[in-house]
Amino acid sequence: MNKHHSKNSEPKYINPYLGGVLLGLLVLVTVLITGRGLGASGAIKSTVVTTAHVFTPEQAKSNAYMNKFISDDHSPMYTWLVFETLGIFLGGLLSGIVFGRVKKLRTEHSPKITSKTRLIFALIGGMLFGIGSQFGRGCTSGAALSGTATFALGGAVVMFAIFGTGYAAAYFFRKLWI
Amino acid sequence: MKEELFVSGRDIPNIDPYLNIWHWQIPLYLFLGGLAAGILFFAGFYTVRGKADKMQATVKWAPLLAPIALVLGLGALFWDLKHKLFFWQLYTTVRLDSPMSWGAWTLMIITPISLIWVASYMKEMFPWWDWKFDFLNKAEAWVIKNRVGIAWVMMVYAVILGVYTGILLSAFNARPLWNTSILGPLFLVSGFSTGLAATILLSKDPKERKRLSQIDLIFIVIELFLIVHLFMGFLAGSQTAIEAAHLFLGGPFTVTFWVFVVMLGLVFPAVLETLELLGFHVPKWLPAVLILFGGLMFRFIMVEAGQITRYLY
Repeated sequence: MNKHHSKNSEPKYINPYLGGVLLGLLVLVTVLITGRGLGASGAIKSTVVTTAHVFTPEQAKSNAYMNKFISDDHSPMYTWLVFETLGIFLGGLLSGIVFGRVKKLRTEHSPKITSKTRLIFALIGGMLFGIGSQFGRGCTSGAALSGTATFALGGAVVMFAIFGTGYAAAYFFRKLWI
Repeated sequence: MKEELFVSGRDIPNIDPYLNIWHWQIPLYLFLGGLAAGILFFAGFYTVRGKADKMQATVKWAPLLAPIALVLGLGALFWDLKHKLFFWQLYTTVRLDSPMSWGAWTLMIITPISLIWVASYMKEMFPWWDWKFDFLNKAEAWVIKNRVGIAWVMMVYAVILGVYTGILLSAFNARPLWNTSILGPLFLVSGFSTGLAATILLSKDPKERKRLSQIDLIFIVIELFLIVHLFMGFLAGSQTAIEAAHLFLGGPFTVTFWVFVVMLGLVFPAVLETLELLGFHVPKWLPAVLILFGGLMFRFIMVEAGQITRYLY
């Protein structure tokens, strides 16, 4: 935590092991305060449903899945997950400021690929992540982190599936990173 | 048949059981009025203190926004009027016990002052500017000579304008959320804070921005104190006041108020400004934009929630 880092071109990140412990403690605190676990994919879902409802209200209502989240007196955006995601963004920003990563916008990527390639693959990865999180009824934070924290078998399965698949697929995509 | 409704005489559409008369125009106007009050106050303040040269954005550039904000705000008010052609009747009335009368006359005075203030700096801001008529040049010279005096008048009226945006609401005795003496100072402080934020956005001088951020931090702390005080007052009050407070403490406005006004509009920008003062690199527009957003949300929520609070039933 050093303010001179703001002039440094090398961004600073938290130690992953310390980060993991802090994340675990965060789940504890979240359960204590809200009575629920963490989650992020739900906020994206709310945004998608709200956007669909604004532009094509008929189609959104006729879609069996989206219809569950639409009601006349309650916007799908009015859920704790949306506010939590807002907090994630702001917390990330705060950490970026404190650790000197905010100086300018940058795309981090391996020296072997261009920023454009990195962004395209990030977009594809994000889309797959979004689809997968709906099949798995939650993302890494919702199903895996909060799930295993409550000793749910499904949470453990998701956790192994995510990391196992990641480990297996990493070989084919390693050149994007190293 | 519920006779008591007729006997009590409170079965009035759009007024009872709750008000349904003020929509987006009023909170927008209250926001713009507070913003103009903040900008004009600090322009006057640094002129009176003889620091106009060091605070260029505060004294010269930001006041450009004030008349625009005032005119847009008055436009919103005019839009809100049911009988628009009778607006002039406000100016044939002087009633010391009516905040609307006070407000109308305050605006009648501070809007031209803000225009004169901006006009007196036009040649400095835009060197190609030419008044074309000799009498205008003479008037400009007179204003420039008497700038400090005008700054005093402007400061006084800026305070009245800022307080009035809150008192306008607190004069509604039948709406428990508004009927508190804290609302005047709270709106004043909030308006000054948004004025400072707008000035920070315009300022290109790091020293000036730092000074304004320091003042803004103080205003944020005062505002938080007043908000806490507001709820303490409600909770120690009558049942209607307690119910008004519960709209924000577990009721329908809880999330919007605490997330958008208190966290995003006050606490988070305060943390960012503190980090900035400590030497960390913070995007300079971010705290200012958050404060402006929080100020706008504050007025929308207070106007909306206040109309729901009530005495009867």
